[in-house]
Amino acid sequence: MKVAVLSFAGRRAVVYAELLRGMPDVELLVADPDGAPDDPARGRSTADRLGATYAEGWEELFALRPDAVVLSTEEGSWRALGERAAEAGAHVLCEYPYAVDETGAEADELDRLVRVCEEAGVRLTVASTACFGPAFAVVRDKISEGEAVGDVKTIHGAYNAPRPSGTRAARSGALGTNAPQLLDLVDAVLGGVPAEQVYAQTNGVAAEPGVASAALVTVRYADGTVASLDCSWGAPDAGPSASGPVMTFIGDRASVDYTASPRLLGGFDALERRARHVTRGDDPQAVMLAQFVAAVGLESGAGPDGAAALRTLRVIRAARESARTGQPVDLAGAQPVLP
Amino acid sequence: MRELETALIGAGLIARMHLEAWIGAGASVRVHSLDGRAAELAAEFGVKAVDSLEEALDGADVVDICSPTETHRDIALAAIAGGVAVVCEKPLAADVAEAEEIVGAAQEAGVPVYPAHDIRFAPAYARLHELVAEGRLGTGTVARFTVAGYHPRAWTGHASAESGGILTDQLLHGVDIAYWLFGDVVRVHALYQGDIAAPAPEGTAAVGTVVLTHAGGALSQVVCRWTPTPQPPIRVTFHVTGTDGTIVHDSDWPQEIQVSGGPAGAFGYYGESPFTSEISEFARALSGGPQPRLVAHDALAAVRITQAAARSAWTGRAVELPVKGAAA
Repeated sequence: MKVAVLSFAGRRAVVYAELLRGMPDVELLVADPDGAPDDPARGRSTADRLGATYAEGWEELFALRPDAVVLSTEEGSWRALGERAAEAGAHVLCEYPYAVDETGAEADELDRLVRVCEEAGVRLTVASTACFGPAFAVVRDKISEGEAVGDVKTIHGAYNAPRPSGTRAARSGALGTNAPQLLDLVDAVLGGVPAEQVYAQTNGVAAEPGVASAALVTVRYADGTVASLDCSWGAPDAGPSASGPVMTFIGDRASVDYTASPRLLGGFDALERRARHVTRGDDPQAVMLAQFVAAVGLESGAGPDGAAALRTLRVIRAARESARTGQPVDLAGAQPVLP
Repeated sequence: MRELETALIGAGLIARMHLEAWIGAGASVRVHSLDGRAAELAAEFGVKAVDSLEEALDGADVVDICSPTETHRDIALAAIAGGVAVVCEKPLAADVAEAEEIVGAAQEAGVPVYPAHDIRFAPAYARLHELVAEGRLGTGTVARFTVAGYHPRAWTGHASAESGGILTDQLLHGVDIAYWLFGDVVRVHALYQGDIAAPAPEGTAAVGTVVLTHAGGALSQVVCRWTPTPQPPIRVTFHVTGTDGTIVHDSDWPQEIQVSGGPAGAFGYYGESPFTSEISEFARALSGGPQPRLVAHDALAAVRITQAAARSAWTGRAVELPVKGAAA
């Protein structure tokens, strides 16, 4: 199977390429025609190091007929390239577009890409890493079976990844960077039930002016489920295990606490001078890529699709409005994603 | 120092725990209750029972009100009128107007009112507040509090769903701690689920999901639950974040003693009972010691916030709270 990494501009592009390179059935294709400002030959040298096939330009890359692409372009140029990949028949994995305001421009862009993928018969998958883990799949499946947990009507969770380094990502604040993972987890468990009302409060105590570093979002869904989510940025050096996500599902028979990075080993690390927190070690990005690749060509797909991402972006847009007005925001009716 | 003369009103579960604590603090106690159980409780602890409120308040230094919430106002006002200090089980009153009346009267008469928010004396919350007060958290940004527990008896009191019902009681814990850490609350949003109106049968389940916006900008999320079954036992957690780090607690974390096998919760050690710490701090204050960690205006703030949450849950709107000057 041919999987292409489209440019090395994205923050996780090299990691993705390295992980794909390690997969037995994957032939890695790479194109990075724009290079980096200080290193125009970045694409070629990275491809050589990874033993990947390098294409000089987009045309040459799509002529190689990739089965799937990972969009890891610069923020802003993802949609056009995504459409091109879809038209070439490749399944697409893309990062969440970061909204920086209430205009919903990124949702409109994503909506266009969703339509193009639909028409081309390829699956659009968003890189909402937390949704791919096998442990989370157990939670989702058990809740959907209903036996053990019963009817789940209340969910609360937290994802406290630190302030990102990218400029646009940082400007999008905690609602832009951390809310998608949590909302996607809820969406996966609820099976796409649309949100009806959103309340959000934010503060910028730990950020530059105009940016929300802390955010609480409460969503009421059409089936009556309530989800309350802490998307605040966490401390930069707290380590991935402290970020979560964590999520509690309260059913009428049992409640389930889900932790994405549980402690397997503890102790003290004298070199780092801090408590040791060693997890089982399943790299969430490797898990995500493996599932994405494994699902290529399958009916079901893995992880949140474009429609799920659009539902999430609608909630985030309403959350921004609510944070500004101080009142809950109603999402009028369950708008169809595709007319 | 002479013994504090304490009038304990009520003879239920909380009254029993307070009575034990007052005796431990060296007080002399007389018990009065309208439910006919005062004599039995008094006899068990070797103190006296009295037949009327007047008799209870006569010569008392302090009244400790552990009777149902709707009786708090009249008892508190009678005590204040007689110059008797007030300790009152939470919530101070069923609504904001009654709480304001009590606090206003107490302020005018110069009589102290100490609300029994026992959670502030539970070790995890006490240590949390110490760390925050020492500045170890930096500027507070966002906090999450959960409490989930089973109520062992049917709910006999009357509380409409509009008033917040059985969730008001459960919510008060998280609200009080959030207010203690981050200060005045200016906006409240709440969603309530379950059968919250009381009377309610034993095993009634309900969940409140509440977001508080503090005047200083910090945010608090409180998720409070009555669980339908006694197992698992009560569980509380918090996750408090500031510019200099986080402070996290989960009551499921093992403490000094863990018993495995045998009946769950066979025995353990959890430090001094919060009721003991609380009543002895109040007793010291009433005997000329330092002001306790919570006073009348804290009780009023808690009632204001929990009632705002009930109103938000009822109307579906966020509720704005004016920040008033401290009333006591």
